[in-house]
Amino acid sequence: MAKSDKPKLSAKEIKERAEAHPMAVPFLWLGTAKVQKNFIFVPLFGMILFSVLGYVYPLHHKAPWDFGFSYTIIGFVSYSFVVLAAWPLFKLLSRPENYYGEDGDDAKNDDKGGQ
Amino acid sequence: MIDFLTSFSPAFILIAAGVISAFMPSSRVRKVLLIGAPALALVLINTVFYGQDANAFLGGKVSFAGIELTTMRIDILSIIWGYIFCVAGVLNGIFGLHEKCKITDTSALIYTGAGIGAVFAGDLITLFMFWELLALSSVFIVWRGGPKSYPAGMRYLAMHILSGVLLLAGLIIYGRATGGYAFDHIGIDAPGGKLMLLAFGIKAGFPLLHNWIQDAYPRSSVTGTVILSVFTTKLAIYALARGFAGTEILIYIGAVMTVFPVFFAVLENDLRKVLSYSLNNQLGFMVCGIGIGSQLALNGVAAHVVVDILFKGLLFMSMGAVLHRVGTTKASELGGLFRSMPYTTLFCLVGAAAISAVPFFGGFVSKSMIIAAVFEEHHWAVFLMLLFASAGVLEHSGIKVPYFAFFAHDSGKRVKEAPWNMLAAMGIAAFLCIYLAMPGPFGGMQYLYGLLPSEVAGAAAFNPYTGDHMVFQMQIIMAAMFAFTLLKRIGLYPPERRAQILDFDWTYRRLGLSVLQWGSAMWTRLGAVITHALRGMFGNISKRLYQVFSPAGAFSQDAPSGISAVLIAGMLAAALFIVYFL
Repeated sequence: MAKSDKPKLSAKEIKERAEAHPMAVPFLWLGTAKVQKNFIFVPLFGMILFSVLGYVYPLHHKAPWDFGFSYTIIGFVSYSFVVLAAWPLFKLLSRPENYYGEDGDDAKNDDKGGQ
Repeated sequence: MIDFLTSFSPAFILIAAGVISAFMPSSRVRKVLLIGAPALALVLINTVFYGQDANAFLGGKVSFAGIELTTMRIDILSIIWGYIFCVAGVLNGIFGLHEKCKITDTSALIYTGAGIGAVFAGDLITLFMFWELLALSSVFIVWRGGPKSYPAGMRYLAMHILSGVLLLAGLIIYGRATGGYAFDHIGIDAPGGKLMLLAFGIKAGFPLLHNWIQDAYPRSSVTGTVILSVFTTKLAIYALARGFAGTEILIYIGAVMTVFPVFFAVLENDLRKVLSYSLNNQLGFMVCGIGIGSQLALNGVAAHVVVDILFKGLLFMSMGAVLHRVGTTKASELGGLFRSMPYTTLFCLVGAAAISAVPFFGGFVSKSMIIAAVFEEHHWAVFLMLLFASAGVLEHSGIKVPYFAFFAHDSGKRVKEAPWNMLAAMGIAAFLCIYLAMPGPFGGMQYLYGLLPSEVAGAAAFNPYTGDHMVFQMQIIMAAMFAFTLLKRIGLYPPERRAQILDFDWTYRRLGLSVLQWGSAMWTRLGAVITHALRGMFGNISKRLYQVFSPAGAFSQDAPSGISAVLIAGMLAAALFIVYFL
């Protein structure tokens, strides 16, 4: 077999394509480890861009604390606080799933609904 | 024909369709009713309101126990709720087309009818009747979730019956004091006003009264949760806007409502429960706007009700589709579903963008109005709380739901895409989420603005599409997204784990239950002690009586006849004394 005739896709990729919905095939790259690892640069770039734009388009009506990228800081701190608070809160508030003695797994149950 | 149909509330059309549905063996006919009845109601509402010149139409008057009830008051406030309830009814019908369940079809029609009837109620008694019908019809939808939903359904019913009782008590006090039952501005200081505020607050999910939402909604069926997410809470928002606009305490209640669900949503593993907390959070924005009470704020509330029903419905539909195909919505068991369900993924992302208030998506227009109204009033602490909550919304609904269901690690689950009817309902909702946020002559924002209750809502009155405002919004969104990716990358984002997260319902599901069980045990013990004591006491008495009167007792023993004569003479003397002297 000539070099140019070699399949470009690995066996894993061929299997993944075969299993995927036809409309999803062009977007399978979204699931690759490389994309997931480097996705951070998209919001990073966006955050820097809009922080700079904050000086180009300052708010017409200002809050007492306003400066160019004050809402970038508020967004970052708020989000991080919510997520980091989850660690102690989970320890404090989590119990086994059957804690109340009535929880079952969710299961689809409306397809066979009685007439 | 039109004259006849417009002579009573369109709610009765839906309720009648529900009753017919209950006796209709053909699923196809029921589905026609499920989609056709709300569509007909929509046309009738439009015909009635725009067929007359005034700002309000009063009709469907009925005399009940000497009181004149107005079952159809269509005005600039109620019409927007009426429209969106009908649209939601049609979308719910399309979403549930695959389901062959008479109970769901019947309950959904009556529930939708009750919601529309309550919105168009011109007096508090009519409101109360539809308020109760809403609770009774919806509990059957909760119970369609199967045996695991029965206790949650009972708790749901208890809360809503309590709400109804409070409303009834409040309206009786109000009616006696004012001499009328008209459902207009009530105010917290009016007689019975606090009771009615509490009744509305239960249905609106006020803090500490909110748990019925997270308890019942995620336990219903695939279709049931979508239906439930629309009417009850939004009706409560309408009732608050009608009766308590400008009540200051609502600003702070609303602000708390926006913040606290954020912390629970990040802990939850069940994505339908995450969305239920998210629902609470969005209601907070609306309650806050009602508390502000300015024209801009009330317009923001009305607009947010419309887009919230669409994007929240869309998110619940997407999770319903996942539940339908995968069998679970536990984040710990999902991931990578975009490979199998690309359309559902796309629609979920539209819903996520709309709820996160990304420019050119629904929430951007409506939420901006509420936040701007808070800003205008210089409520800085509340303003900061709403900004914090906006970042929180992005965490639970904007990122967590789509990320853990459709992306994240590949769970290896390969399923079929959602059925066509689910995709159609999601597609329409997604289209409306985008269309209603689009400015310009071909965009739908002008139509949304045209429906808002205050006249100042012309396109020039509030324009969210200014450079400074879009930059302000994008700064929050991009910073939150960066925080997510950063925390994920350095391993500080908590993993999804199966657990029961305690909320305030612990007080009645565990503490209250324990107190009741303790009380029951104590009562049993006390009963045993009392029984023992009584048994001892009556035993002694009967023993004594036996000793005196039994055949072997003292009275049966032989005695000289003289003693009997003396005893009889004594009794005769006593009888004569009583007769003559007393």
